[in-house]
Amino acid sequence: MSFNVSISRRALMSAAIAGALLLPVKTAFADPGAWSDEPVRIVVTFPPGGTSDLVARLLAKYLETEFGQKAVVDNRPGAAGTVAADYIAKQDADGTALMIANNAPFTIAPTQFETLPYEPMTDFTHVAYIGASAPGLFVKPDAGVATVAEFVELAKTQSVSYGSSGVGSISHILGKAVDAELGIETLHVPYQGSAPAIQDFRAGVLDTFYDMVAQNSEMIEDGEAVAIGIAAAERYPGMPDVPTFTEQGFDIVIENWVGLTGPSGIDPVVAQQIHETALAVFALPEVKEQIEALGITHRALSSAEYTEFVETQMSVWKPLIIAAGVQGK
Amino acid sequence: MDIFSNFGNGLLTVLQPENLLYCFIGVFLGTFIGVLPGVGSMAAIAMILPLTFYLEPTTALVMIAGVYYGAEYGGSIASILMNIPGTPSSSITCIDGYPMARQGRAGVALFTTAVASFGGGMIGMVVMAVMSPVLAKLALSFGPTEYFAVILLGLVAASAVSNGGALKGIAMVVAGLMLGTVGIDLTTGDLRFTLGVPELRDGVNLVIVAMGLFGVGELIASIRANKDGRGQQKIDYAQFYPTRAEWKASIGPIWRGGGIGSFFGALPGTGQTVASAVAYAIEKKVSRNAANFGKGAVEGVVVPEAANNSATQTAFIPTLTLGVPGSASMALVIGALMIHGITPGPRILTEHADLFWGLVASFLVGNVMLLVLNIPLIGIWVRLLQIPYKYMYPTIIVLICMGVYSLNNNVFDIWLTLAFGIFGYLMRLYRFEPAPLLIGFVLGPMMEEHMRRAMLLSRGDPMVFLERPISGTLIGITCFLLVYGLFKSFRQHRHGRVRPLPTTE
Amino acid sequence: MKPERLADESPDIASAHYRWWAASGGLFLALVSLYFMYGGLALGLGSPFRPGTGAFPFFTGMILLAFSLTIIFRDLRGDGLAEDPDWISFFAIGAALSVFALAAGRLGLVPAAFLTTVIASLPDRSLPLPGKAILGSVVAAGCWVLFIKLLGLPFDAFEWRW
Repeated sequence: MSFNVSISRRALMSAAIAGALLLPVKTAFADPGAWSDEPVRIVVTFPPGGTSDLVARLLAKYLETEFGQKAVVDNRPGAAGTVAADYIAKQDADGTALMIANNAPFTIAPTQFETLPYEPMTDFTHVAYIGASAPGLFVKPDAGVATVAEFVELAKTQSVSYGSSGVGSISHILGKAVDAELGIETLHVPYQGSAPAIQDFRAGVLDTFYDMVAQNSEMIEDGEAVAIGIAAAERYPGMPDVPTFTEQGFDIVIENWVGLTGPSGIDPVVAQQIHETALAVFALPEVKEQIEALGITHRALSSAEYTEFVETQMSVWKPLIIAAGVQGK
Repeated sequence: MDIFSNFGNGLLTVLQPENLLYCFIGVFLGTFIGVLPGVGSMAAIAMILPLTFYLEPTTALVMIAGVYYGAEYGGSIASILMNIPGTPSSSITCIDGYPMARQGRAGVALFTTAVASFGGGMIGMVVMAVMSPVLAKLALSFGPTEYFAVILLGLVAASAVSNGGALKGIAMVVAGLMLGTVGIDLTTGDLRFTLGVPELRDGVNLVIVAMGLFGVGELIASIRANKDGRGQQKIDYAQFYPTRAEWKASIGPIWRGGGIGSFFGALPGTGQTVASAVAYAIEKKVSRNAANFGKGAVEGVVVPEAANNSATQTAFIPTLTLGVPGSASMALVIGALMIHGITPGPRILTEHADLFWGLVASFLVGNVMLLVLNIPLIGIWVRLLQIPYKYMYPTIIVLICMGVYSLNNNVFDIWLTLAFGIFGYLMRLYRFEPAPLLIGFVLGPMMEEHMRRAMLLSRGDPMVFLERPISGTLIGITCFLLVYGLFKSFRQHRHGRVRPLPTTE
Repeated sequence: MKPERLADESPDIASAHYRWWAASGGLFLALVSLYFMYGGLALGLGSPFRPGTGAFPFFTGMILLAFSLTIIFRDLRGDGLAEDPDWISFFAIGAALSVFALAAGRLGLVPAAFLTTVIASLPDRSLPLPGKAILGSVVAAGCWVLFIKLLGLPFDAFEWRW
């Protein structure tokens, strides 16, 4: 496989560099632990309080208490995460500047915006994949719709609206992708974040909405909403009864992922150290529990797998964004 | 009574030493952060968030709430002393608070602010305890059409905030509406007036507008005015505490401000700035002392403070019972609860009753703490004014820079503040005032967003605004106010074409 | 405006020059509103029932244009009153903010706070230069304690990046 090749080449190169500088050669697969004497800056693309921010704060906290690596969370929201990504791209590649990467600046913005101040692949070292949460489609219980097939029938007989958390957001693009796959046309109503959309859904203004499923489990338990499909490869563990779109014969899989990414040119040895330590943090039982409470399913990917993942995600999203009509703004 | 026993249980929870301690830390930190221009409650809450991972959810919530309303109170201190709003919602307090300070009545202004905040906070608390389910339902009956109608009403009321010529005041409101269109269009995703700057895609931050127009603009103007050595204000210790007449004059405004604040606080998205602006505008209409508004009227300080503090308490209603945060700080509250596995929503009242009632009771405890903490501090705050201005103003400039820089850790925000400072200074030379612009700026994007969303959902039928009962009524009231206002100003204009310039004293 | 600020200035209200100066504020607003109207047109007004991206800026621009024309008209008749600008303070504060913006990311917070304080205090002649330097050091140290040590904001105290 291609990423295996790239790993060994990097390892060789790092060994050669380390040897040339006559430094003690660290093993490429280090034990988890601190990688810098300086505090590490973990940049978040959102204001404090969101999932990304909480992940960053958990990471910073446990890096310090468990591994002696000082870390601070640095919120740099703006322009769909591109301000933060641009900032990271321009930082020193010594492992002290990292960001919680996600779809917005890496897979959506390159297509959505006409110009970007950075290159999503070459300007970054994608260090550690953290996990992903799954979005789903929610409808009102009194709509009498329980499956995707029934939803298609409904949407063909009447005009159905859906709320999203904004133009160019994951839920907007997912809605358009569902429309295309199902051969229907729904009315997109953008909001600023999912909370006001859900408020309007509850108030009966909206017919449906798309959002991460984990955050809406109570509404389903209380019978205020019905989730008819999850756009993930597998069912969400917290909601084992809700089938995926794929199970129902519609090929719609969208991952709302988060990862740890730094500027390009981080020494592979250091990058590996960061990778190991970050994964060790997310393997801690208390962290695992809190991450799961946020609806994030963790998967252990190697750095190379994560890099390749980001690359494939870009090609997955591009046609969806163009189909949603939000390209080149 | 159910409410009393619930509240009693909540009180018992809060009176546990640990909760008392964190409540105190919260209000203390909040007040302190609120005084710093531009550094709002959000920075403080974000800072203590990791600490809350280890705390009991109730304790965490009590502390975060303390920071939140503490900052709301602290923000007014900077408004009164320096004419620089510590938080955007205390901009309105500048209008009368700062003139009071200049007249040597800073102590009175701070004292009445403390009392008004307490009163507003208590009104908010009672509303939250008694009416949470009702208000949550009310918030749910507010769709885009109702929001549009209430914002339109707020906007028309806000045009009355201006002191100078009404014409210039309304022009500033409209300029604020226009400024609010900068950034990505929420409905289509198109960029508007961003001049190719990525940072402008999200529009201009409210804090930057407030810091630039009020902070920097005011500062430039005050350097020459305070050139002569000593502190700018004479301090009249005899008038340190409000007179009986001032007490009496404050009671009505506290009730009105508290009531209006409770309403707007419970509507997610409108928040404290709108609450204090609308309360001020309405007070100015109903007050017998209306002529002195803008020249240091006690009511002009009491009303916005009562309003924004009660709004701060009731803002927890939609946040907790609907899971809809009205502001970025409230989003942090949701985040803090989610990390403990608590999803805010209708069930919080039953499943986490102890948490909810603990919070409600903490409003009482925390507001008492604020009062006890701050009344002795008034003397110290007032003495700050005796520091010669030549030391004060460079310090304030640095504080403004720091506050703005801490928003997004981006120097672009400093440049933008500079631009607004220049604009603010030039505008004040021409007797345009910043407060109406700020209100237009807050309300404009919301009005457009809800208007276009309503049209989208009605599939292009404008009749929805009149057909739905709440929005229809609100629009009717607005039309009446507008026609009445036009009629009045037309008559005024005919009777005295060249009006005397407004003067102090 | 507060009358005490106007006390030492007695602009000649009658002069045409002064009137145009007083009206230039309204003129500026008129120009800004024209820009927003133009921008709104370019973005597209949409239809009455489906307002487009440009509709809101266009119509607010139109309303503001009407207001500012009325204001200009009134100011020209002598209703308006402009205070004499204090250009020295204006440029000093402008420079102070610019220096902060330039230095904060490059030199770090402490030098930025120091330079900003010193430059901002320049228009005040009563404080000698060493005094300004001491004030700057005190403010810089205070900022370091307050924002970095106590509040723990993710700023660098010192930095060297050009």
